[in-house]
Amino acid sequence: MPRMTFIDRDGSRHEVDAPVGISVLEIAHANNIDLEGACEGSLACSTCHVVVSPEDYERLTEATEDEEDMLDLAFGLTRTSRLGCQIIMSEELDGLTVRLPTETRDARAD
Amino acid sequence: MSGIYLDHHATTPLDPRVYEAMKPWLTERFGNPHSENHVLGRGAAEAVETARAAVASLIGAEAREIVFTSGATEANNLAILGAARFLKDSKRRVVTVATEHKCVLESCLSLRDESFEVVVLGVRGDGLVDLAELERAVTPETALVSVMAANNEIGVLQPVRDIAALAHAKGALVHTDAAQAVGKIPLDIADVDLMSLSGHKIYGPMGIGALYVRRRPRVRLKPIFHGGGQERGLRSGTLPVALCVGFGAACAIARVEGAAEALRVAALRDRLQAKLLKAILGVRVNAVDAPRLPGNLNLSVSGIDALQLIAAVPDVALSTGSACTSADVEPSYVLKALGLDEPAARASLRFGVGRFNTEADIDRAVALIATAAARLRDTSRVAAG
Repeated sequence: MPRMTFIDRDGSRHEVDAPVGISVLEIAHANNIDLEGACEGSLACSTCHVVVSPEDYERLTEATEDEEDMLDLAFGLTRTSRLGCQIIMSEELDGLTVRLPTETRDARAD
Repeated sequence: MSGIYLDHHATTPLDPRVYEAMKPWLTERFGNPHSENHVLGRGAAEAVETARAAVASLIGAEAREIVFTSGATEANNLAILGAARFLKDSKRRVVTVATEHKCVLESCLSLRDESFEVVVLGVRGDGLVDLAELERAVTPETALVSVMAANNEIGVLQPVRDIAALAHAKGALVHTDAAQAVGKIPLDIADVDLMSLSGHKIYGPMGIGALYVRRRPRVRLKPIFHGGGQERGLRSGTLPVALCVGFGAACAIARVEGAAEALRVAALRDRLQAKLLKAILGVRVNAVDAPRLPGNLNLSVSGIDALQLIAAVPDVALSTGSACTSADVEPSYVLKALGLDEPAARASLRFGVGRFNTEADIDRAVALIATAAARLRDTSRVAAG
């Protein structure tokens, strides 16, 4: 099974199992990683915003328009930002590393 | 006798049709476009979105790609600072040109305080960017290349498409300040990632402009204003509904009438140029070899101080250069960048012909200026004798 690493807001690293076909958001929840995901993966918020390492970013499939729209609203957006709910684990993504940003925002609360 | 306005690069008069469109939004229809709970707010929001669509349509963009700002200066600041700051972790270089508007130059130069390397390229004698020099200046570490579409003093049209192709090949974003160009020359939005627009340069109101921000591929900016997150988070602050509506109306008119108007204005400009060259000895047109804006004419009158000449024709509104710096004692940095010496720069006048000018205006302006120039030359000859 592929593995992936979350870097928490305090800098601590958590390497976890990453089953194929499961989203990074779901993997975070299964491992008690503090990634919110307020809309439960329905592309209505940006609270599962993660910063992907630059090398890994190139390996991901491109973000859709809808994901880009939600990322527009994310705080602390970076060049390699993605939504955790839209990254679906595959064998090719073994070793993926993502960092949790320090701030998030729920667009529904605006 | 009313004055003749030949300073359309500084600002343009509000088109009466634009004023009519704005009026209700200055009086009874006062809702906040961000108040979605009542009909006044929703009406204002709809008016803003209609205006946004009209602005987008003029440049072939999607409405969602238009961010309203207070004008081109803010749009330029947002584009340059916003793009550079978003990319600063990986790219620390910005490239621009010596003849850019002050707000572009100053925005770029301010990035030196944020550890950016800022390259300001010179121009050739005709006012155009040297593409080979530009290609050398743009590196893979370049975040942004900012080159204006049309110059505000000499009217020169930069080869934005060629510049963009070179910059994109190195992975840099491309911004163009199109404040003077939009509505007057065809612009292809596909060439650039960011484009600044201004309302009052196209017969719309002052205090409104826009930044085009490309969506595919998505261009991201770090906002410079913090607040309520309006304009997709890129520009916080309540939108001025009447100004947005006026800007939209001005863009709608420009879209329909721009091409025919450009031909008419260029013919008036050519008439002005031909008549001035005939009426006054020692007139030299600046940047004559480059493609120029239809209404632009920048020329030097040998041996005459431009400020004295302007003062001697109070019925004609014209200028020596950029309105922002017309109070300066220093002659235009744009003309100096072309290689003009100080006497020639001090003898230079900027004409901007526009929508409401007539042949009679042009002929009368030439007569007044020629008379004043002759008188100034006589006076200096007497003083010298």
